[in-house]
Amino acid sequence: MFDKEYLEKVKSEKEKWEELYKSSRERDVKFVTDSEIPIKQLYTPLDIKDKDYLSDISFPGLAPYTRGVYPSMYRGRLWTMRLFSGHGTPEETNKRWKFLYENGETGFSAAVDALTFNGIDPTNQDGAPEVGTSGVPLYCIDSLFALTEDIPIDKISVALVVEPFTSAPVCSMYFNMAKMRGYDIKQLMGTTQNDILTMTVGYIPYKNCPPNHILRLACDFIEWTVAQKNTPLWHPINFTGYNYREGGIDAVQELAFVFASACSHIDNLIERGWKADDFVGRLAFHLAAHKDFFEEIAKFRAARRIWYKLMKDKYEVKNPKNLGFRFHVQTAGSSLTAQSPKINIVRTAIQALEANLGGCQSLHTNSYDEAICLPSEEAALVALRTQQVISDESRIHNTIDPLAGSYFIEWLTDEVEDRVWKYIDKIQKVGAIDKALSSGFLYKEMRDAFHRRRMKLENGDEIMLGVNKYPVPYDTVTDVFRTNKEAIGIEVRRIEKLKARRDNAKLEKILDKLRNVCEKEENVMPVVMEATKEGATIGEVCNIYREIWGTWDPPLAI
Amino acid sequence: MNDRKIRVLMSKPGIDGHWRGGIVVSRAIRDAGMELVFGGFQNVQQIVESAIQEDVDVIGLSIHSGAHFAYTQQVIDLLKERGVIDNIMILVGGVIPAKDFTQLKEMGVANVYGPGSRTSDIVEFIRQNVKK
Repeated sequence: MFDKEYLEKVKSEKEKWEELYKSSRERDVKFVTDSEIPIKQLYTPLDIKDKDYLSDISFPGLAPYTRGVYPSMYRGRLWTMRLFSGHGTPEETNKRWKFLYENGETGFSAAVDALTFNGIDPTNQDGAPEVGTSGVPLYCIDSLFALTEDIPIDKISVALVVEPFTSAPVCSMYFNMAKMRGYDIKQLMGTTQNDILTMTVGYIPYKNCPPNHILRLACDFIEWTVAQKNTPLWHPINFTGYNYREGGIDAVQELAFVFASACSHIDNLIERGWKADDFVGRLAFHLAAHKDFFEEIAKFRAARRIWYKLMKDKYEVKNPKNLGFRFHVQTAGSSLTAQSPKINIVRTAIQALEANLGGCQSLHTNSYDEAICLPSEEAALVALRTQQVISDESRIHNTIDPLAGSYFIEWLTDEVEDRVWKYIDKIQKVGAIDKALSSGFLYKEMRDAFHRRRMKLENGDEIMLGVNKYPVPYDTVTDVFRTNKEAIGIEVRRIEKLKARRDNAKLEKILDKLRNVCEKEENVMPVVMEATKEGATIGEVCNIYREIWGTWDPPLAI
Repeated sequence: MNDRKIRVLMSKPGIDGHWRGGIVVSRAIRDAGMELVFGGFQNVQQIVESAIQEDVDVIGLSIHSGAHFAYTQQVIDLLKERGVIDNIMILVGGVIPAKDFTQLKEMGVANVYGPGSRTSDIVEFIRQNVKK
């Protein structure tokens, strides 16, 4: 981008400056990113001398999409403000959703409880005390009616945060509910997380099936929704780097996990006879905005370029609409402290800024009480207002991708990209993503990464104010939000009522059909749609998976 | 003082998959030279059963689901019923509000570890307070 003669001049001037720098003091800290990328004192045109603006950076909405996935980005439309939210019962969650909607939230995201995650009914004693404690219980179609009551689901998008093991039952309940309310499901907008790695390495599964079956369930859902065009506007999967990043891996590993996983899903669908262009345009991503400000921004920019290259070169995608990397961001829960929790508001604001400067399509900001309990209404409102301070007061969106052209940002974007490609190779050498799981490879990588982070916190290379610097006691002042203790009774009664109403003989026949489909390894979605319409519960569907495919204990590495 | 190693059962009552904290503490316990019995997901009966069979000195319950009172009470009740409550120290860790520590201790928990706890403190507490 610079002529040779000029660069020579910069080089000689830089040498003079380096002499000056050497004569001044440097603090005794490691100047590295969170991913251990060494950072120089200063970046100059010399660091990006080999870059070509048109082919490496280019324009927003144009290949390689480094500057953004849409031509007008936030000048055209702001990101979706989508707070991950759910607690107690569907009715209480509906109330919280409406509260946030009235305060300017522009998308919903259902945080489900541990039973919904694992496909367990509330009548199961092992999980009963956890009904509604860590999210909203969604066990049957009636729950979905209650969750969305009086909410215009044709106008606002809903993210259902369930993973492959339960995405078919929960989402089919949602689609059936929408049909019964008179909506055309072909017009429905929303996302299913449906991420195999979330429910294996991010979060340990309880009596789920082995990874090869989970991968197939994820792909069944992509096939039915998008490739077969039953719900063509739906995002059938959201590769959720966020969840495993929270488990300790770094920014480079986060992207590599996500892309290696995405490739395995695409390969599976291609084996089924589809072309990449039939479905890749609806694949979505969910990344973390962690503590290292510039590295995270570089990561978002690099992610768009890597995805573009993967789609164009590896999968020969033709339609330009299918080349864009669209992503939701969540600020980093693991960066927050239970000590001095109000400081979490500042941390979250900085991380939200990373997401916006990185060009996210959708954003969740954490509540300051995140390290203590589920968000209180007050804390959730502060989190939403944090986004609105950025959107409505800061004016950072006057121009698109304002950090482009920074010697440092462009250099770091390249550096992150190079390292991600290498790590993708490392994973792919082990095999497809289900193999990387069942062999224990990803568990070991997670363990080692978390151990490294733990050591950094213990030796002070990573600072957490209130914990390892200026330590203060665990906060006892903040109000603790408590979930509804009656939730278990309410949910058991909801299911009893449904069971009394439904045609059990008819449902038994449908469930037998599902057994058959599972044995033949056909797409489960059509039959699960029938089953949940007739009132099948989440446990009834998932128990058939367990019966036919068996359950799986992950090779946890300590 | 005998030279038998301290035995610790690390268990995750219920079905919540937030396992990172339990794994980190398990590693610290093992690295400190104690005998680790990694229970993984266990229901209350399984926790008490393995505690007795493995003859552990400590049960660590890792709870991030908000259901810490329910599970802890159930474990304590069953330990009492089986007559082994006096031999075993119970520790609870996880996303647990500081406001709940007192009540958990009144129920019979020796100590509670919330977010930001140091693994070295946990190991030290076990060494100092294990019931001999």
